[in-house]
Amino acid sequence: MKRKITVTFVFCLAAIFVAVFSMLGCQSAPVSETAETAVSETTAEETIPAEADETTQAEEKVTLRYTSLRTEDVDAINRINAEFTKAYPNIEIKFEPIKNTEYDAALKTSLETKTGADIVMLRSFDGGRQIYDSGYLLELNDLIPNMSSDFTPNSLRAWSTDDGKIYGLPYFGSIDAVWYNKAIFAEYNLSEPETWDEFLSICQTLKDNGETVFAHGTKDTWVLTETLYCDLGPNFYGGEESRLSLINKEIKFTDQRFIDAFDKLAELIPYFPKGYEGIDYVTMQQMFLNEQAAMWIGGSWELGMIAESGIDAGWFAPPVENKGDTTHYAFYADLALGINKDTQYKDACVKYLQWVATAEHASLLANELPGMYPPLTVEYKIDNELAQKIIDITRMDNVKVTGQLMWEKLSSQEPSGNSLLDEVSQKFFNKKMTSNEAVEYVQKGLDTWYFK
Amino acid sequence: MNLSKIEKNSFKKFRWYILWFLLPALIIYTVFMILPLFNSMRMSFYTGPGIVPKEFIGFGNYIKLFTQFPFNIRLSNALLNNIKLFIMVMFFQNLIGFFFAILITRKIKGTKFFRTLFFIPTALSVIVVGFIFSLILNPVWGIFDRLLEFIGFGAYITPWLGNPKTALVAIALVVAWHNIGIPVVFFTAAIDGISEDVLEAARIDGVSLSGEVRHIIFPLLKPTIGIVSILTFVGNFSEFEIVYSMTGISGSPEFATDIFGSLFYRTTFGTTMNVVSDVGLGAAIATIMFMIILIGVLFFLRIFKREV
Repeated sequence: MKRKITVTFVFCLAAIFVAVFSMLGCQSAPVSETAETAVSETTAEETIPAEADETTQAEEKVTLRYTSLRTEDVDAINRINAEFTKAYPNIEIKFEPIKNTEYDAALKTSLETKTGADIVMLRSFDGGRQIYDSGYLLELNDLIPNMSSDFTPNSLRAWSTDDGKIYGLPYFGSIDAVWYNKAIFAEYNLSEPETWDEFLSICQTLKDNGETVFAHGTKDTWVLTETLYCDLGPNFYGGEESRLSLINKEIKFTDQRFIDAFDKLAELIPYFPKGYEGIDYVTMQQMFLNEQAAMWIGGSWELGMIAESGIDAGWFAPPVENKGDTTHYAFYADLALGINKDTQYKDACVKYLQWVATAEHASLLANELPGMYPPLTVEYKIDNELAQKIIDITRMDNVKVTGQLMWEKLSSQEPSGNSLLDEVSQKFFNKKMTSNEAVEYVQKGLDTWYFK
Repeated sequence: MNLSKIEKNSFKKFRWYILWFLLPALIIYTVFMILPLFNSMRMSFYTGPGIVPKEFIGFGNYIKLFTQFPFNIRLSNALLNNIKLFIMVMFFQNLIGFFFAILITRKIKGTKFFRTLFFIPTALSVIVVGFIFSLILNPVWGIFDRLLEFIGFGAYITPWLGNPKTALVAIALVVAWHNIGIPVVFFTAAIDGISEDVLEAARIDGVSLSGEVRHIIFPLLKPTIGIVSILTFVGNFSEFEIVYSMTGISGSPEFATDIFGSLFYRTTFGTTMNVVSDVGLGAAIATIMFMIILIGVLFFLRIFKREV
């Protein structure tokens, strides 16, 4: 009796363990409920035209699954995709976004288990590169021939290999410069500055009149790198040229130009609000939107929010040192679209991406998501006047487009250039570090792996 | 003979069916606690991209953490901050909690109300508490600075969460405010458990309040103090949420609030889209956290050995 119970006990224990482990094993396969149901749908569709060959398949109704990390865009993207289906009636796009923070893990698992969507969204540089290097993506050079001519070079660099293989179609990007409150500017007869000195005198006038000059703080470190150093800094460190030289190891970060950029930006510190060390991004946003501050050094992605708030905002490009200098304007792509190598509907996917690469789609997207710009060199129309102005600056003479200084290659390992720059920027703008110490610290970090 | 048979049955024979009752707990604990723990330790010996690092590098992650710039600075900084946080929370939460417990166990009117009151913050979610306090301390529209100005301390205003000297103290105070209900409940329960005879005898002998606390309540509360210390220690060295909601995961300002939890999270999952995540290195940090907590708990158990 005793033995019998023990044997049954051990047997049951083993059985439960096996069951639990197989459950854990399976768990990695279906990424989310939507993915699971979608898989069964596609397999169901697939069984019907199993005998039909490719040409007849084109006449069949095809549903492409398109995954993204922007859950906030569901309605906008669905409206855009409806336009596509109007032009190509037998292709439907099913938009299946996944929460931003869970996207990468979910995407990798779904591609690994061959349950991935047909069209996938890719993060810029290393994020997307990991997906390509794992062999999940199609190369797009031949499939979308107009890509290399119609897109800005710095956006293509974010999704291509050193030998020029492109695996992602730049989807949209952001532009950084300065927002200002037109009403406050009008009150003191101020106009958009061109040079750095004009910019500083505006700041002084506003300060003298008791206005809060900038909605700016240093509590969130990313703000300092992304929308301060890489926004107003490029005019002083030499923009795209210096960025590429740094990546090619021709110059180091201790170069005088990078120090100068820090020193120039330090001239803005007296105009930051009181207690700026404790102001985070959300507070900055609210200060500007509640008209508590005259200017906000920030990104175009806030256009939607600004339009909604109803304040009369303007936008000017980063001021240059001397009149007539080239303006270095930060316009960089954040996200791209790629095609899953294992897709059963390659032709339909290519058709969709070809359509995304047109000015027609660019207009649709820029209208649906104000402040987000497909990085096309070709002109496209946007209904919102301010949105049009922001993008028009990129096509002006004497304006050169640049990207985020540390994103390309310099951030593929820890300590990444981006996190180092975040770190020193906070210390620098909190006046705990000199510009020399700042660049040396970043260089010391990069020396451990990039400049080896 | 009959008696010995009963004895044999009930004492010598192991009752195997008892195992069945252990089974559910054993399975749940193994699957959700022990296996992930060992798997995480195993992962700390691997490196590579993605959620599951595949390349074996032995102690490479540990060597990197202890010797290589800037990982070594970050690790020692996180350890130091965790120790500071622990000491501050021990003081603000447990010491003050102890005195509150003594006060509300006095036989004064209204103590029942206070017993409930102290536990209310503990019932709030950590994220909510962190968010509310970061609004209260906000330099632009925070009510705390207004209050200071109102009572004439305007000169002492500083960006509380942006100044490296005050940020961790602010966080420790918030942690203490949030969790003070726990030591208060533990201590009041223990004080209530002290035999009334003992206290009465002491009072007849003319003991003062301080003498009562020092010579009767404190010694009898030692086991509870041990448990509360251990709970605070484990809680603080695995703290993450409050820092996450008040100053973010980048240890802002200037890594003054970077503790093991945020260091682990940042290393494992990355902060923004352009900080590389390294699950292997993160697992190594988690293992170090585990070791520190293990050693700490053993240390406290030793101190309170006789009592616990």
